[in-house]
Amino acid sequence: MKILDIALKDLTRSSRSVFAVLFMFGVPLLVTGMFYVMFGGMADSDSGISLPKTNIVIANLDAGGSGFDTAMSQFPADADIQSMGDMVVYALEQDDLADLMTVTLVDSAEAAHAEVDSQAAGVAVIIPADFSARFSSLDGQAVLEVYQDPTLTLGPAIVRSVLNQFMDGLSGAKIAVNVAVTQTGKSDPAFIGQVVEAYLTAASLTRDPAALLEVRSPAAAETEEVPLLVRIIGPIMGGMMIFYAFYTATASAETLLQEDEIGTLPRLFTTPTSQATILGGKLLAVLLTVTIQVIVLLSLGALIFRIHWGSLTSIVLFSVGTVLIASAFGVFVNSLMKSTKQGGIIFGGVLTFSGMIGMMPIFLFNNPSAAIGSISLLVPQGWAVRGLFQSMQGAVTGDLFITLLVMLAWAVVLFGIGVWRFQKRYA
Amino acid sequence: MNAIEVKNLHKAFGDMKAVDGVSFEVQQGEIFSLLGPNGAGKTTTLSMLSCLLRPDDGDALVMGHSIRTDQMGVKSVLGIVPQEIALYEDLSARENLTFWGKMYGLRGAALKTRVDEVLEIIGLTERAKDRVGKYSGGMKRRVNIGVALLHKPKVIYMDEPTVGIDPQSRRNILDSVVALKEKGMTVLYTTHYMEEAQELSDHIAIMDTGKLIAYGTNAELVKIVGQMDRITLTVNNESGRVLDAWKKVQGVKQVTGEDGTLTVLADDSNQVLPRLFEAATAHNTRITSVDIREPNLEAVFLHLTGKALRE
Repeated sequence: MKILDIALKDLTRSSRSVFAVLFMFGVPLLVTGMFYVMFGGMADSDSGISLPKTNIVIANLDAGGSGFDTAMSQFPADADIQSMGDMVVYALEQDDLADLMTVTLVDSAEAAHAEVDSQAAGVAVIIPADFSARFSSLDGQAVLEVYQDPTLTLGPAIVRSVLNQFMDGLSGAKIAVNVAVTQTGKSDPAFIGQVVEAYLTAASLTRDPAALLEVRSPAAAETEEVPLLVRIIGPIMGGMMIFYAFYTATASAETLLQEDEIGTLPRLFTTPTSQATILGGKLLAVLLTVTIQVIVLLSLGALIFRIHWGSLTSIVLFSVGTVLIASAFGVFVNSLMKSTKQGGIIFGGVLTFSGMIGMMPIFLFNNPSAAIGSISLLVPQGWAVRGLFQSMQGAVTGDLFITLLVMLAWAVVLFGIGVWRFQKRYA
Repeated sequence: MNAIEVKNLHKAFGDMKAVDGVSFEVQQGEIFSLLGPNGAGKTTTLSMLSCLLRPDDGDALVMGHSIRTDQMGVKSVLGIVPQEIALYEDLSARENLTFWGKMYGLRGAALKTRVDEVLEIIGLTERAKDRVGKYSGGMKRRVNIGVALLHKPKVIYMDEPTVGIDPQSRRNILDSVVALKEKGMTVLYTTHYMEEAQELSDHIAIMDTGKLIAYGTNAELVKIVGQMDRITLTVNNESGRVLDAWKKVQGVKQVTGEDGTLTVLADDSNQVLPRLFEAATAHNTRITSVDIREPNLEAVFLHLTGKALRE
């Protein structure tokens, strides 16, 4: 009972320390949140990474031309496609590009240039009056003018990419027509129209990669599609949780030294309470503190960032291992310290250094080389990270269980040394 | 029955003998002071009697419990007020007392009642919910003492509880020590303030360099020095009028003086002083001021060690 009283007293004290709460929950969430914002927006978490929209002005001066009239049937009737220029506009106004660009039409090339010059738009696309005519001509060269804000890179690049794709399609059609005309000797518009329509019909199939590719994922991902952003953020949040679990455990175990220095530990030893009970209570406080931290961070990660940590069994195994190994590490590290004055060196040195080694797989985005993976396992944090990855990747329980056993072995050794040193000190 | 029996305690740290063969007895219900300069071995002795340090040799019984073989028994009858304030500053006074009460085995309604009583005793009922970190030094000292009272111990150790505090708080603490004695508790009090030991103690042990160099009541210790009381009196007329009369007063050993100020040497100023007033009245002389200097523990320490107590 006294063990619990001592542990609850320590938990109460920790909960009243702004510093402790900040490092237990605030910093891991903040760092993860920064990565989250860096890689995308909260609102777009399901659609992947989001980019700023690019304003595009289009001066469609295309006067149209004979030749590809049948190709227009590839477009919906309400699209009102009368020329190749209209096709360009139609391509840029597609719904699936709406998140990337906003299209505005203007009447002249000068007006389009002026919009970019005034930075009201990032890109101007000028479709010349003879665009369709040049394209219709078998030996003509259709040219689009792209006028862009030189300070922008990504938005104009996307526009150019879309236009290139479009122009490639048209070039393909033109090549197909040339081949057909050469081989058949026919060059009437109706024949050319049939060739173009056949080409576009075939080409449209390739717009859906699913029709040509069979995309397969690891076993765990098959059951639930995990957005890219969450796949990036998950390991980062997990890594932050592991790093700060070790930090919290070390800081929490440091209260043994603090209590020794402020006199409450010697005073506890003068009460009719055994040394084992007192040390046990202090160590239980470390375990409870880290347990609460891990549970809260796992829950908040799932709620805020929609991170899939794995199955319930694997989460429990990973969490138990992390709590035990972090707590044991904290006790061990503090048993090496003579006073809290050494805390700066220990916290800044040992904890950060071992943390960085252990976290290496995290910052290689779950794609480390075998060597780095092995190096990270030289420190306890590395095993916790391994458990995290195994849980998130849906590893079979047996594999995770082996990792848990190694973590337990680490914990027993570190805890044993730490408790032995403390008992010796206070004997 | 003795509350504490200390038998030939020894404790060394490396080559330094911190406590070297100390023995004394403390009777139940008395205030016993361990007096000595810093480094004399008082706190080490107290630490051994608190079971914080294991003696190299010797033993002590606290209410019959051996500090060697029955440490839990010793701890259960002891209340300890450490020299430094040993409290959790981020907890309130009530939370501190409740926690420490649990460590002394109190639970439930009994714990709550006792915490309320102790808050009343230390006069902090109104501020019970405030965190100790916001208290003044004196208030913290009171909570520090309150913790030691929670389980109604038979014996209380107080290790220099007045070091570094203001005169008013010091006065409160000294009064509280007397109050504890009146409630039947035995108080073992360590100090290097000679005045405190003189004022409070039924018996005093003087320590220096790890050894107990003198033991007895205040009066018994002072007699080691053998000095007489020195009484300085101011009178309202020519001193010659009463000078001869005072020389004849029983207990007076010597009278000297001039210009209205006389110095009387006597064995016991308490007995002599009324007689001096009577004689002055008989010679139409009015005494306007009296200053008594008794031989004190400072003098005893000086006499025994050849150095001042506060060196």
